[in-house]
Amino acid sequence: MQKLINTLVLGVAGIFVVSAAFAIVQQMVKTMTLQSLSANDISVDQALLVAQGAINECKKDSPALTVAVVDHEGGVRFLIRGDGASPEAVENARKKAYTARTFRASTSSWMERTAMDALDDKGKRIDLYGQRMLENIIAQKGGLPIIWHGDAIGGVGVSGSKGGEETDEGCAKAGVEAIADQLF
Amino acid sequence: MSRMSTIWKAAAAAALLSIASQSAYAQSSSLTSAQAMAALQAVQAYAKNDGSNPSLAVIDRDGNTVLLLKGNGAAPHNIGLAQRKAFTANQFKMRSIDWRDRTMPGKPNADERNTPNAVPLGGGVPIMVGNDVVGAVGVSGTRGGQEGDTAGAQAGADAAAAAAAQRPLAQN
Repeated sequence: MQKLINTLVLGVAGIFVVSAAFAIVQQMVKTMTLQSLSANDISVDQALLVAQGAINECKKDSPALTVAVVDHEGGVRFLIRGDGASPEAVENARKKAYTARTFRASTSSWMERTAMDALDDKGKRIDLYGQRMLENIIAQKGGLPIIWHGDAIGGVGVSGSKGGEETDEGCAKAGVEAIADQLF
Repeated sequence: MSRMSTIWKAAAAAALLSIASQSAYAQSSSLTSAQAMAALQAVQAYAKNDGSNPSLAVIDRDGNTVLLLKGNGAAPHNIGLAQRKAFTANQFKMRSIDWRDRTMPGKPNADERNTPNAVPLGGGVPIMVGNDVVGAVGVSGTRGGQEGDTAGAQAGADAAAAAAAQRPLAQN
C-alpha cells in the first residue's frame, strides 16, 4: 500500500516537473525568436483612474471638466466631456494630452522651451518654435505625460477648469498622482 | 356686448401669458457625463461576461462626443468605428443593425448609405428617454460580432436612459 502511494506521489510530481520544463522551454523559444517590438501602454483601468483623479480634484470649483487620456501611441484611450463644456473643450483636452505624451513633458514646460524667445543655459536661442506647427499639437497649459520607467506610456489633458489653463494643469497632476503607486 | 369683450380680453390675456411663459430660445435636453459613465459601466460589465475588451463611444443628440474609450489591445479601427456606429444610431434614430438591414442594396432606402460618416454595421444603439432620442452608444470589438456589439451597446444605452430617469437631463 505504502509503495503504491509513493509511486502515485512520484508520478504526480513527475508530471508537474515535465510540464513545468515544457513551459520554460516554450517561453525560452518564444523569447529567442521574438523579432517584433513590444511596448508598454496605459491600460483602460489606469486611464479611468487618471480621469477620475483629475475630476475629483477639481469638481468642487469646476463641475464641467473635460479630461482626455491618450495612450502610448497618442490615440485616445479615454475621454469624457464635461456637462455644458464649450464646443472646443474635447479637442483641446485631447491635444493637450497628445502634446504632453509626444514631447514627454508637461505642456507648460514644453511651451517655455518652444517659445519664440526661449534661451538655453548659455543664453543661446533654442528656436524650437517649429514644434508648435505640428499636427495635433496645442500650446496650452493643462497637459502632462504619464511616464513609467522612462517610457511615456500615455498623457493626460484637462480643459474647462474654473481658472482656465492655469488651473487645468493642477487637475491633470492629480490625475497622474492617482496612479502614482503604479508608476514607481 | 360687454360680456363678449370680457371674453376677448380674457383670451388676449391668456395668449399673452402663454407667449411670455415660453422662452425665446430653443431648448433641448442633452446627455450628461454621468449618463455616459453609466453606459460605460454597463458596457464594461457586458464585456467582462463576454471576455472581450471593446471600444466605446457615447455621443449626445447633437453628435458631440461625450465619452470615448479604446479597449486594451483594440485594433486600430475600433474606436473610430464605435464613433460611426453611434453617429448612425443617433442620426437615423434606430439601432445601426436595423438601419443596415433597411438600407441593404436593392431596398428603397439603400441610398441612405451614402450619408457621410454613417456605417451599416451593428453596434450603435440610440439612447431613448421616452420617445426622445437624446444620444447614442456605439460599441466595437466584442466577441459576438455585430450582434454582440449591438447587445453591448444596448446594455449601455439602457443604463444611460435609466440614469436619465434618476437625474434630470442637463439643459443646453
